[in-house]
Amino acid sequence: MANIFPRWSNLLPIKIAVCALSVVAGLVFAFSYYATPKTLTVGYQPSQPIPFSHKIHVDQVGLDCRYCHSFVDVAGHSNVPTGSTCWNCHQHVQKESPKLAPLHKSMDPAYPGYDGKPIEWVRVHKAPDFVYFNHSAHVNRGISCQNCHGNVNTMEVVTQDQNMSMGWCLTCHRNPELNLRPLEEVYNFKYNAVDYLSKNPQSGVKTPEELGLKLKEQFKVKPKTTCATCHH
Amino acid sequence: MSKFIWQHPEVPADETTVAWRSAGQLEDTPEFREWLDREFPQGAAEMADEGDMETSRRSFLKLMGASTALAGFGMAACRRPESYIVPYTKAPEWVIPGKATYYASAMPRANGATPLVVTTFEGRPTKLAPNNLHPDAAGTDAFAQASVLDLYSTSRSRKVLKSGTAVKRADLDVAIAALAADPSANIGFLFGADVSPTRARLAKQLATKFTNARFYQYEALTGESAKVLGDGAKLSVDFSKADRILSLDCDFAALDPQGPVTPFFERRKPEGKGYEAKPDPEKMNRLYVVEAAYSLTGGMADHRLRVSPSQVLIVAGEIARELGLPQAKGVNPATDGNQIKWIKPLVEDLKAHSGKSLVLAGSRQPAAVQHLALAINLALENFGEGKPLAVLQTEAQGLGDLAALKKDIDSQIVDTLLVLTPSNPVYDAPADLNFAASYAKLKTSIRLSDRTDATAYASTWHIPAAHYLESWSDARSSRGVYTVVQPMILPLYQDCVSELELLLALLSDTGKLINGEGAKGAPSPAYDAVRATFASIGEEGETAWKKLLRDGFYTGSPSPTIPASLAPTADATIAAANIEIGKAGKPTKDALEVIFATDASVYDGRWIDNPWLQEAPDPISKITWDNAALIAPKTAKELGIYDKIVDPEPVSSVLGVESAFGDVGPDNEGQNRKQHIIKISVNGQTVEFPVLLSFGQAENTIVIPVGYGQGYDKDDELKRGPVDDKHRVVGLVGVNRGFDVYPLRTSATPYFATGAKIVLTDKKYSVALTQEHSAMYGRALAREVSTIDTEDGKGDFADQLAMVKKQGNDAHAPPNVYQYLPKGSETWHPDKGQAIPHLSDTLHQWGMSIDLSSCMGCSACLVACQAENNIPIVGKEQVAKGREMHWIRMDRYYATQKDNDFDADNPAFVPQPVACLHCEAAPCETVCPVNATVHTEDGLNAMAYNRCIGTRYCANNCPYKVRRFNFFDYNKRNPLIPHNLNRGPFGVKAVGDPDHLQKNPNVTVRMRGVMEKCTYCVQRLKDAVIRQKGGQKQEALVAGKLSTEMEVTTATLRIPVDSVKTACQDACPASAITFGNRLDEEKSAHGRARNLERNYSLLNYIGTRPRTGYLARVKNPNPDMPDHKFIGKATIHMV
Repeated sequence: MANIFPRWSNLLPIKIAVCALSVVAGLVFAFSYYATPKTLTVGYQPSQPIPFSHKIHVDQVGLDCRYCHSFVDVAGHSNVPTGSTCWNCHQHVQKESPKLAPLHKSMDPAYPGYDGKPIEWVRVHKAPDFVYFNHSAHVNRGISCQNCHGNVNTMEVVTQDQNMSMGWCLTCHRNPELNLRPLEEVYNFKYNAVDYLSKNPQSGVKTPEELGLKLKEQFKVKPKTTCATCHH
Repeated sequence: MSKFIWQHPEVPADETTVAWRSAGQLEDTPEFREWLDREFPQGAAEMADEGDMETSRRSFLKLMGASTALAGFGMAACRRPESYIVPYTKAPEWVIPGKATYYASAMPRANGATPLVVTTFEGRPTKLAPNNLHPDAAGTDAFAQASVLDLYSTSRSRKVLKSGTAVKRADLDVAIAALAADPSANIGFLFGADVSPTRARLAKQLATKFTNARFYQYEALTGESAKVLGDGAKLSVDFSKADRILSLDCDFAALDPQGPVTPFFERRKPEGKGYEAKPDPEKMNRLYVVEAAYSLTGGMADHRLRVSPSQVLIVAGEIARELGLPQAKGVNPATDGNQIKWIKPLVEDLKAHSGKSLVLAGSRQPAAVQHLALAINLALENFGEGKPLAVLQTEAQGLGDLAALKKDIDSQIVDTLLVLTPSNPVYDAPADLNFAASYAKLKTSIRLSDRTDATAYASTWHIPAAHYLESWSDARSSRGVYTVVQPMILPLYQDCVSELELLLALLSDTGKLINGEGAKGAPSPAYDAVRATFASIGEEGETAWKKLLRDGFYTGSPSPTIPASLAPTADATIAAANIEIGKAGKPTKDALEVIFATDASVYDGRWIDNPWLQEAPDPISKITWDNAALIAPKTAKELGIYDKIVDPEPVSSVLGVESAFGDVGPDNEGQNRKQHIIKISVNGQTVEFPVLLSFGQAENTIVIPVGYGQGYDKDDELKRGPVDDKHRVVGLVGVNRGFDVYPLRTSATPYFATGAKIVLTDKKYSVALTQEHSAMYGRALAREVSTIDTEDGKGDFADQLAMVKKQGNDAHAPPNVYQYLPKGSETWHPDKGQAIPHLSDTLHQWGMSIDLSSCMGCSACLVACQAENNIPIVGKEQVAKGREMHWIRMDRYYATQKDNDFDADNPAFVPQPVACLHCEAAPCETVCPVNATVHTEDGLNAMAYNRCIGTRYCANNCPYKVRRFNFFDYNKRNPLIPHNLNRGPFGVKAVGDPDHLQKNPNVTVRMRGVMEKCTYCVQRLKDAVIRQKGGQKQEALVAGKLSTEMEVTTATLRIPVDSVKTACQDACPASAITFGNRLDEEKSAHGRARNLERNYSLLNYIGTRPRTGYLARVKNPNPDMPDHKFIGKATIHMV
């Protein structure tokens, strides 16, 4: 009786298993690479119409965050500066820089291509539509810009620093003491809790962790973790 | 723990109260029982019609397979698409992105402007609220709330039309300039009935410039009250000073406003405004109402007499006779025994409160009744300083009426007419005037309107009107306070012109029509005109003007008060009217009286294209999207048509169509509901109407709301016509809506007509009622007590108050076990100390009280909620299936006593708004498989829309039936386009429609397949709390200390008492809703309300511990009245 299955078919189950495994592994890899919040968002660094450098403006010039993001402590939305905010300085400073052409186009009636239309900045950080996030609720209670946006003061081009997934939000809402600062230090990108404590000694507080716990207790910070806190 | 099964107690044998919400329930048909037992109304959860079949289970599986296959390719879509942030180039003053800015403005109206605070987001008005600083503020009604949607209406007129065809704006400019250059033009101006000082000033200038100019005023439903008081005079009513109020067919609380009505409702609370005092019946007012069919005012009445509208004159005459007034001589004496018994003690009560009583005649009642009411008020000395009544002289003087206009057109005194009235005279003028024919004779007619209505197409020119939120103007509020109307936004469409801009163009030398904005960003000329008016009658200078704009009003120059006096023609008018109604006699079943009622959804027809108003159920009949003739059950029985009207419709369960062999539909309800059509003949005309039963209506009357049946298309159910697709007078919302009753109405019978006959036809029409949707069985839901002892064992006022919590099933219920008792509690966890308090927020615990004593059931809250919370409309077919999305359900109950020997057909009327009650032990939360509905720390029952997978278990388990499910993507697909919802991705998308601009940016727009419900306006609560907590830093700055050295206390973090309002509470003209932080205890109005004896929980015995409590309704009957024993007993026991 002739063999129904040729000899090469002996290895077929193993081959199939290897292929299937590699497909599954590929899928897992692809999913974790493409579809998880971390890979989706962290490191997102789009190029902007004007290559605005936070490093120059914050570190060198020494601007406060709120000079441009002027409503961050009064509104839920942290505004991007209006054209006229940029123009305040740049009608005098770096007038000839070709990088500022979009600003001239938007603000400078003497500029050849002037159209008065606003600059379209590319959005870097975005909470989904079903999330209600309020900047003022955080910065007025001791959470710094730095906690979520990273070291913006050193960024030549703004990059997303944290994955901003719900789990990430909840880690801080459950343990806010890890991130709390005195209210005066919220906009200070050079803040260091150890230095702060050496300059402003607090009774019974030695370590940064203890400072966080003290501020939590003193400010009565009780972040909520139920759905309607952010979803409504 | 074993399951808790509640045994419903038997109805006590001596129980005399019967309560019902519909004919089916009253008759207690088995079909009605079935209806009650269903979770969702029949068919709500099923896909039944042919369009629905397109998405059958099989095609669903096909799609699922395909989409799985495509998922591999779709991965790329996970990458975020690039989106942009576009800041202003120059930021406008006051605008903070993401934060609302509020402006004071007003909505001009015939009965006095409604003062408003307008919420705008980045310059886009989204929500209206009453301006509570204004001395005449009285909440907002449903019309005012819905008017913001007109701004963004898809059917709003945008183009200039010449003889019905769109033309360029430049053509119009030429015509206006030519008109302005001709001072001898025979020009007429037809204004609305609102009062605008600037318009009155410009009219005077126009009269100087155009020597032949004539001025007229017309609105379809304003009636004759102004004529009685004198040219341009109106009544000013102060309800806070009225202890006894008699309404002679006057719906002053809702559709016929006479003055700010909030003080009236505040005096319906025995504890006074804000619940600050001990309950005292002496502080309450007492309301007597004489009317034909239930109005919302009638529903509030302590004593209500049903009479047909013609007989109101007889009743008024009888009251005058009892008071010994000479005017009574002209009126026949009352012959009805009940009426005589009712009037005598009423007059005694009024006399005992002379100077503190109020008699109001319906403004649409004939002049004779108005004269009599005036005479009675004069005799009772109700006019004067510190008294309830005054007569104001407004600026609207020297205006002819529509009949005079017609005469002038016919005799060619007027050949050019500007039609500026919000009414629609070609459609709604009395039929015998044949106004359309006269209108066609005009050389030039210019119609300014926001819709391309019948008048717009009949005119030479139609100019699209700017909305009041887009124009500068001014107005007088109901008691004559100067109120400014300021724009929030430039006209959305560049051709839209405001009334003042048009008048100013005619006044200017060049005749140039400037609208919206002047050259180089200069303000509209209307701005200068309003400013000039204010400088002349108010104050000059920048400061006063800025203050006016900030406050929205100026109290310095109110309309002057003039002495009230009876017109010399009064006696003759009364006598003539008496002869008229004597001829017609009392209505009989062969000569019925037809009442052309003001409609609660479309008013006179002007709001036919407003979907919020169309979908808001009529407060009395609960009909949506249509109108219907209402008839008393007794009259229907006498006419032999009752059985037909309540006859269930046979519907085949297989085919879903009418069939003689089919099953009987559930009590003729839901999507199968079809009403018989009757033919009504009166005044030589016949119209057809579907008919509904109406309780508490006077016998032999038919009530027909006006304003519907304006236009039809090919999809009309009854194939009514004519279909004119080129000249569509209504948009998608208003097309095929209801039936037109205006052909029956003549100038002699503008309000009611006598001698009508009705014939039942074989035809039927489907109507969408919300009446029996979401029924809650017959437990004691709405509770009522009386301020007097009616000798039936219920005791006096104090005894009855003490028993409020024990009414109905709660009399028998065992105490509840509450699972969220705090840590260490005796009754909770066996392992004491383990239980963690569920409601852990020590700063805020939210709660609400709804006072049934002042709620009239007007639906203003329902529409306000829709505006605030982005609630979609679903269309008539979906409403009929029970899929309406309103978060607030306005229930209304009727109740009567079996032993009522005075008038058994006059049941009590109790409205009850029910939204999510935010139960502390919420049954919906325990059944959600995905934790999409959970409790928050501050006591809200929250919905996480993005987590909801649409099992609808929660709605199934909600004892109050307050959860609403998005069966379709109502926001993305316009539900008004026939079959559009079922076409899925192939349907017409509504994305980009202008009405999306109205959406509140702080509330998620929900998609298909998720559950939603009242959130206590969580976005407002969060906003208030975040704002308060931000104050911590301010405190540190002010104290000059480091934040680490500041003490943060509860006072820093807890919002001030009563500083946040929900949208429904804000809108409520009756101040029936109080909302607040329970931890404020007695300091907040809500805290005081919930500690009252008359506070009770809905279905308390099932142990859900709702956060919304209800305050029992208090009736304040007069012990001398013949019906006093039957008042204040509407408490609903078992059906």
